Amino acid sequence: MDTMAAIKQTFFQECEEQLAELEDGLLTIEREEGDLETINAVFRAVHSIKGGAGAFGLDDLVRFAHTFETTLDGMRSGKIEISPQIVRLMLRSADILADLVRVSRDGGSVDEVRVAQMTDELNKACGISAGPAEPVSAEPAPAPAAGDPDEFGFVVTPVSFDFADETPAEPQTDEFGFAPVAIDFDAILAEDAERIEGFEIRFRPKPELYAKANDALRLLRELGRMGEMSVTCDHSDLPLIDAIDPEGAYFSWTIQIRTECPEAEIREIFEFVELDCDLEIRPMLAGLITAADDADQVVQEVLAQVEAAVDPVAEAPVQPVPDLAPAPVSLTRAQPAEEVPAAAPVMQAPTNAPAAASTPAPSATIRVDLDRVDRLIDLVGELVINQSMLAQRVMEAGIARLSDVAVGLDDLEHLTREIQDSVMAIRAQPVRPIFQRMSRVVREVADMTGKSVRLITEGENCEVDKTVIERLADPLTHMIRNAIDHGIEKPEERLAKGKPEQGVVRMVAAHRSGRVVIEVSDDGSGINRARVREIAVRKNIIAEDAQLTDAEIDDLIFAPGFSTASTVSDVSGRGVGMDVVRRSIQALGGRITISSRPGQGTTFTLSLPLTLAVLDGMVVTVADQTLVVPLSTIVETLQPKESDVHSLGEKSRVIAIRGSFTPLIDVGAVLGYRETEADPMQSVAVMVETENQSQCALMVDGIIGQQQVVIKSLETNYGHVFGVAAATILGDGRVAVILDVDSIVAGSRTETARIDTNRKRSAA
Amino acid sequence: MGNATECVTLPTELDIKAASPLANQLLALRGRDVLLNASQIERVGAQCLQVLLSAASTWRTDGSSLAISEPSPAFTDAIEIAGLELSNFTSRNH
Repeated sequence: MDTMAAIKQTFFQECEEQLAELEDGLLTIEREEGDLETINAVFRAVHSIKGGAGAFGLDDLVRFAHTFETTLDGMRSGKIEISPQIVRLMLRSADILADLVRVSRDGGSVDEVRVAQMTDELNKACGISAGPAEPVSAEPAPAPAAGDPDEFGFVVTPVSFDFADETPAEPQTDEFGFAPVAIDFDAILAEDAERIEGFEIRFRPKPELYAKANDALRLLRELGRMGEMSVTCDHSDLPLIDAIDPEGAYFSWTIQIRTECPEAEIREIFEFVELDCDLEIRPMLAGLITAADDADQVVQEVLAQVEAAVDPVAEAPVQPVPDLAPAPVSLTRAQPAEEVPAAAPVMQAPTNAPAAASTPAPSATIRVDLDRVDRLIDLVGELVINQSMLAQRVMEAGIARLSDVAVGLDDLEHLTREIQDSVMAIRAQPVRPIFQRMSRVVREVADMTGKSVRLITEGENCEVDKTVIERLADPLTHMIRNAIDHGIEKPEERLAKGKPEQGVVRMVAAHRSGRVVIEVSDDGSGINRARVREIAVRKNIIAEDAQLTDAEIDDLIFAPGFSTASTVSDVSGRGVGMDVVRRSIQALGGRITISSRPGQGTTFTLSLPLTLAVLDGMVVTVADQTLVVPLSTIVETLQPKESDVHSLGEKSRVIAIRGSFTPLIDVGAVLGYRETEADPMQSVAVMVETENQSQCALMVDGIIGQQQVVIKSLETNYGHVFGVAAATILGDGRVAVILDVDSIVAGSRTETARIDTNRKRSAA
Repeated sequence: MGNATECVTLPTELDIKAASPLANQLLALRGRDVLLNASQIERVGAQCLQVLLSAASTWRTDGSSLAISEPSPAFTDAIEIAGLELSNFTSRNH
């Protein structure tokens, strides 16, 4: 049971990859950069999902994937013309497929109406553009008009054949003196209905077939249920025991099966292994042993009849080289004779041949359980700590800086850093999947709002820690929704403003000084500041007479409980505002800023740490405790001057910095390290920027230095502690807590009188 | 050669996971006469058949003997479905 669950999990992991590939391919096609291989890749992705889903009995998924696949196959074979509409339909189908996969994995339900609707649309796409149904039966197609190359590219020369029993009329010679020869195919091919008596199947599994837990014997056994079967095993490739790859695939089989089942049923047995084996299915004719023989035999019989017919013709008045007579006949007929039985396999070949030809090379990646990576990261964290402890001990022991020990220790330090970086890189993943997910959001929201929007992404290869990526999805989704719903104008409005009809949402990721920066921008109308202000006043977020700069007004949209849409729209009004976005970004150790230009659009900039495992911090002391302040929050540090510090009420103090007042918070008091307030003159003020982008000065006793620390979660190991984000172990082996700056600032406010500056809003 | 015949009882499950251990086991017995008892086999996949067949031809090349005794119905069935015969899996000492 466990194995089954594990296999299923692998299947879903693969599904994720296939879905990403699917979307990637479709987007490439949408940009008109795709070629046949892109369509093949897209087809393969859907096909693999279908295959796996079938194995797990996920019927809904299989059904939809099948319809989807059929349409893709139509695109691939050129039966369905690739138009922007079709590609959009495919993209939407891919979304549904993703939903179905998700539901199969996590439970829940899908919007069945939507699935049904999409299935209809897909069927319609197949039906309408597919043209007249192709003759799939193996019956000889009626002879095409003279000179028209048929689908196999053969130009058929009309030769009169007599398929019926009627006796040919008196042989007439034509102007070249050729007399039509009547050939009775009925005698050769027997009755149509009985003609195909079974199939000859050549089946050569590839190692992948076995690796995917399929067994060739099971397939053979299933085949055996369809009729009387004779199996020949070719094991000539089998090496000796010392050279064998026990999990290799050396057997191949030729199976002759007598059955009345149609070929499709035979193919169905191999459906899920199609890509992992070489498969050839040829109908066998009645009374003939192998398909290879029957073509010859048919030709032989035709020739025999022709020769018999030629004799009387030889006496005809005009006799230009009677030997020639059989030649054109046997030639033209011999081809169809061979083609006819092969017709059915050829029809279906596209599912097989191109895919098999382009099977991707085995990728040089392995799948590793995330827990293992995390454990490794933990261990490396320990190593880093241990190494710095060792370095400290060596220093304390008074060993000379240039001694062998110290030099060796330096090398060790380099190595540890390198190991740490490499291990972090294992967790790092490109932001591509998340960007791809956003393209779906753009499509859906654009559809819902009736706007035309294009998503441009850049820097998808930018790598960030997996955890960071996972937790980016919601904030990004929300930002994109907002950008389209509130930012980008309706098409008519855009045209009236002289903008292109189609709006653009741009997502750019880039590495900047050890952090990753993601920008989400739109070319919409920008923030309507008058309106934002009005709403903020109405909702008591700011005082009516507050003097705010443009940037501060823009920043209001991050205020809790702020929403500009006058009606709660289906799109962005889902109960979360930009305040939630800001909070989740901050929870990641990141920050979000906004800049907007009226009429030209809005840009959100996210700056995120590359990893959640280490942190650059400033090590400070407060009441003999060592604390770490995350460097990303620190704006500056300064030594307070007596003249700058002002008391405000009984307990609170502010510090004047460059003309504005900033609350001065005694960290030691807030955390309960000491009863009495510290003397600001003996302290250092660390200016930090908080959640609301307001600044505060944290008062600490002293600064030890700047250091990269390994984050040890308190929540997982102990529990949440007020004012503390996490802990770390310093070089001297001491535990230090990492400050949660926001909660300290917020905590100080509960007891501190509100600061009456123009930053009043931030205290809300 | 001429050593005493080594008797090995094949496991019940000869699926893909069993192929590598089986190959190693057989490889270790190379050069000796071997009797494989197949009475316990309940399930056998194509890859284990490959290994067994390869062993038989290896033993043939080496001139040692290898035989399968008491084949279980599951085993005979698998051989038959694969289009093989028990004699394919046998090497007689010359």
